[in-house]
Amino acid sequence: MNLLICLCEIKNLLRERLLWLVFIITVCFSVLASYNGYQWAATQNAVIKNAQQEQHQATSIAQQGLAKRQALNTPINWWGDSYDLRGQAFYLMVNYATKPPLPSAAIAIGQSDVQLYFFRMLVTQKQAFINQYEVVHPLSLLIGKFDLAFLIIYVLPLLLISICFNALTQEKQSGQLRLLMLQGLSPLRLLFNQLLIRASVIILPLLLISIVALLTFSSGISLLALVLFICLILAYAVFWLALSALVISYGKTSAYNAAVLVIAWLSFVIMVPAILNTAIVTANTAPSRIEYVDILRDNSDAIDKSSSKVMAQFFQDHPELANKNSADTTAGQSNTSYSTKKIAKIAALEAAMQPFDDDFQTVLMAQQLQAEQFSYLSPATLLQSALFNLSGNGLIRHQQFIEQVLSHHKILRDFYQQSISAAHQRGDFSPCTGCIARVTITDLTQVPKFTFQEQRSDAPLASIFILLLFSGIFILLASLRLLAMNRSQAGSALV
Amino acid sequence: MLILILKKEWLESKREGRTLWLSRIILLLLACALLSSWHSYQQLQIQKTQVAKSERERWLNQGEKGPHAAAHYGVYIIKPDTGLSVLDPGLTDYQGAVLRLEAHKKNDTLFRNIQDSIQMQRFGDLNSAFIFQTLLPLLIILLGFNSIAAERESGTLKQLLANGLNPKTFYMAKVFALSGLALLLFVPVVLYIVYWLLFGDNITADRSALFIVSYIGYLFIWALMTLIVSSYAQTARSALISLLVIWALGCLLLPKFAIDNAEKQYPTLSSQMFQSKLESEIYTPERQQAIAKFKQDTLDKYGVDNVDQLPFAWSGAQLQFGEKFSDKVFDRLFGQRQMQLEAQSLHYQSAAIFSPFIAIQTISMAAAATDFAHHQLFSNAGEIHRRSIQATLNGDLKDNGLTTRNRSKNYQGDHHLWGKIPKFSYKYPPIGQLTSNYGRAVICLILWLVGLISLSYFAIRRIKNEGQQ
Repeated sequence: MNLLICLCEIKNLLRERLLWLVFIITVCFSVLASYNGYQWAATQNAVIKNAQQEQHQATSIAQQGLAKRQALNTPINWWGDSYDLRGQAFYLMVNYATKPPLPSAAIAIGQSDVQLYFFRMLVTQKQAFINQYEVVHPLSLLIGKFDLAFLIIYVLPLLLISICFNALTQEKQSGQLRLLMLQGLSPLRLLFNQLLIRASVIILPLLLISIVALLTFSSGISLLALVLFICLILAYAVFWLALSALVISYGKTSAYNAAVLVIAWLSFVIMVPAILNTAIVTANTAPSRIEYVDILRDNSDAIDKSSSKVMAQFFQDHPELANKNSADTTAGQSNTSYSTKKIAKIAALEAAMQPFDDDFQTVLMAQQLQAEQFSYLSPATLLQSALFNLSGNGLIRHQQFIEQVLSHHKILRDFYQQSISAAHQRGDFSPCTGCIARVTITDLTQVPKFTFQEQRSDAPLASIFILLLFSGIFILLASLRLLAMNRSQAGSALV
Repeated sequence: MLILILKKEWLESKREGRTLWLSRIILLLLACALLSSWHSYQQLQIQKTQVAKSERERWLNQGEKGPHAAAHYGVYIIKPDTGLSVLDPGLTDYQGAVLRLEAHKKNDTLFRNIQDSIQMQRFGDLNSAFIFQTLLPLLIILLGFNSIAAERESGTLKQLLANGLNPKTFYMAKVFALSGLALLLFVPVVLYIVYWLLFGDNITADRSALFIVSYIGYLFIWALMTLIVSSYAQTARSALISLLVIWALGCLLLPKFAIDNAEKQYPTLSSQMFQSKLESEIYTPERQQAIAKFKQDTLDKYGVDNVDQLPFAWSGAQLQFGEKFSDKVFDRLFGQRQMQLEAQSLHYQSAAIFSPFIAIQTISMAAAATDFAHHQLFSNAGEIHRRSIQATLNGDLKDNGLTTRNRSKNYQGDHHLWGKIPKFSYKYPPIGQLTSNYGRAVICLILWLVGLISLSYFAIRRIKNEGQQ
C-alpha cells in the first residue's frame, strides 16, 4: 500500500510545475551556497598564506642583509633598524597570529567575517591590535553571506513549506480523501508518505550537493563533521515537516495552512531570534566602548605621570631586569632604557585596563550563556549555534583564538623584555660615544612564533536531540488528530 | 461607494480577527523596538558628550611637552548620530564610532559593536527599520493576498460587478484599506519624528521628510503589489505563494546576492595586504631620497651648509615633509579602497530595480546618517582635522624649536599651543547634498511606484473583463 501511495504521489507531483521549480531552486541554491562557503574559506587561507609568506620573507631578507648591517658604520635610527631588538619589538616585527579555517569552514561563514582571524603582533598594549578588523563593506556584514547555514536555516523551511502545505488538504478539498479512506487508506499514512516524498525532492539534492562539495573542496573534512552536518539538516527538516503535519492535521484549507506555516517560519526564524537577541543584549548590557576609550586615556595619562612608581613596580615584579650593577631597584631605574620603560608602561596599562576588559568578557559570556539557554525557543537559533560551532566559525573557537593570541602577545613581550634588558646591560645600544648600536638580533627565527592549538569542541548532539524531541511531539499530536479525523470520516462515510 | 467598500473591508477584517491580532503583534514589537532604541540612544548621547568633553580637557591639559610628542598623544574623535538613528541604526554596529587621530598614521574607526556581540546578533536586531522594511510587507501580504482572489474564488466578485460595482472604485478601496492599515502602524514613527523635530536637536526636517515619504511610498508599493497579484491569481493559494516568493526574494535573497556581486565586481584588498602595502609604500628608499632632496633644497635656499644654521628648527620642517609624503600615499591607497567600497554601494543600490527593500534600506540609512557614505564623510572630516593638527604642531616646532636663535634643546609646547587646535565638531550635511549617494535608490523606488500604478491599470481592466464575461 505504501509503495502504491508513493508512486501515486510521485505521479501527481511530476505533473505539477511547482515541483520542478522547487527542485531547480534547491539545486541552484545548494551549488551557490556551497561555492560561497568554499570561496570564503579559500580567501581566509590565501590571507593566512600571505601573512606567513610576509613573515618568512622578512626573516630571509634580514638574514641576507646581516653582513651588510654588521659592516655599517654610518648612523642608523634604531626604530628603522631590523637588527635592533627595539626596532623589531615596537615597529618592524612581522609576526602573525592566525586562525586557519577548519576543513568544515564552508558549512557556515558564521562570525569569521566580523571577527579578525589574523593579527600582526608588536610589543604594544593589546588594546592597539585586539580590536582590529577586516575592512569590507559594512553592508555585507549586516546582510550576511549566502552560505549553507543561511540556505538551511532560512530557505530550507520555506522550500519545505511551499511544497508540503497542501499535502492531504488537496485530496480533502477535491473529495478524493473520502474515496481513498473507503479503500482502507488512513489519512495519517497518506500524509506521512506525501510529506516524505515531497521533502525528499528538496532534502536529497541539498544533501547530495553540499556533501559532494564538502568532500571535493574541503580536503581533510572529518567523517564525524559530515555525519553531524547530515544529522543536523535532517533533524531541522524533520522539525519543519512535523510542524507542517501538525498544521495540516487541523483540516483547514491549504491557504490557511500556508498562512499559518509562514507565520510559524516568520516567528521561529526571524522574530524569535531577533527578540531573543534584543532581550539578551538589553538584560546584559555591555559596557560602553566609548567610555572604555575614556578610561584607557585616563589610565595611560596616569601611568605617564607616575613613571617612577610604574618602574619601581616593574622592577619589583621583574628583579632580574634591574641593572645588575645596581644595588637596589630604585637605583636600577636611573639607568633604565627607553625600551624597558616603554615595556613597563605597556604592562602597567594592560594591568590597569584588565578589570575593564574582564567586564566586557564577563558580559559577553553571560550573553552567550543565556543565548545557549534560550536557543531552545527556536529551531533556527539551535541550528545556527550548532552549524557555526561545527564550521569552526563560531564564538567559542574565536574566544579560544583570542586567548592564545593574548598569551602569545605576552610571550613576545617577555622575550623582547629579557633580550632588550640583556642587550642594554651589555651596552649593545650605545657601545661608545658616537658609535652606532651593535646588532642585537641576528636571527629572526629566534622570535617566538604563533601556532593555533586546536581545541576539541563538543558535538552538537543536544541540538539534534531537542529538534527531534519537538518533532516527535508534533508528530504525536498530528497523529492523534489524524486518527480522530479517520474515525469521524469513517463514521460519516458509513452513515 | 468607496466608503461602503471600505466599511465592508473593515467589518470583514474585524470579523476575521486575523488583522487585529497581527497588527497588535506588530505594534507591540514596534513599541518595544522604539523604547529600547530610544533608551540606548539617550545613554549613548550622554556618553558621547561626556567623553568628547573629557577628551578635549585632556588635550588642553596635557601639560608641557614637545609638539611631536603631543602629535603622538593624539586625540580621539567620536562619530555623531542623528535622532533618526533610533529608527534605523543601519550600519552603526558594523562601523566603529571612534577615530584616533595621531602623527604618521591614518587610522580606521575603532570598536565596532558587532565584535562584542554574540553570534545570535547575526539574526538581526529588533528595531523599527527591521519592522517596517521586513515585517510590515509580510503583514500586508498576509492581510491582502486573498482580498481579490478570494472574492473571485467564491464567486462574489462577479456578483458585485453584475450589480454595477465600478472595478476602479473596488480596486481603489482595496488599495486604501490595505495601505491605510499599514500606514496606521507607521503613525507612531511619524509622531516620534514630529516630537523630535519640535523638541529635539539632532534631527532635521529634510532628512525626516525623506524618511517619512520614502516609507509611505514603500508601504504603498507592497499594498499595490499584493493587490495586483491577488487580482491576477486564480486562487488565494497561488496569490499567497507568489507574494511570499516575491517577499523572500526581495527582502532576503536579492540583497545578499546584490552585495555579494558588488564585492566580486569591486574587490578590495584584505587588511593584511592593505597594511603591508601601506607600510611598503610609505617607508621606502624613495622617501629617504625625497627627505634628503628636501633637506638639500632647503639648505640651498637659505644658503647654509648645515640644518643647525637654518633660521628655523629643521625637525619641524622634516616632520611636516614626512607627513605630506605619507598623506599622498594615504590619499592614493585609502582613496582606492574608498572608491571600491563606494562602487560597491552604488552597485548594490542598482539592484533596487529588482527589490524595493534595497531602495528603502538605502534611503532610510541615508536619511538616518547610518550608512557607509555618512561614515566616510565623518572619517574624511577626521582626516582633515588630523592633518591640520599635524600642520599646526609641526609648524610650531619649526618656528619655535631648536634654532640658532633659540638653543633650548627641549622645546616644549604648552596649553597656548594645544588651544590652537580647534575642537573637532562635525555635522552631517543636508541630505539634499548627498543625492549622488542614494539617488539611484530614490529613482528605483519611484520607478517601482510608477510601474505598479501602471500595472494597477491592467489589474483593474482584468477585474472589469471578468465582470463582462
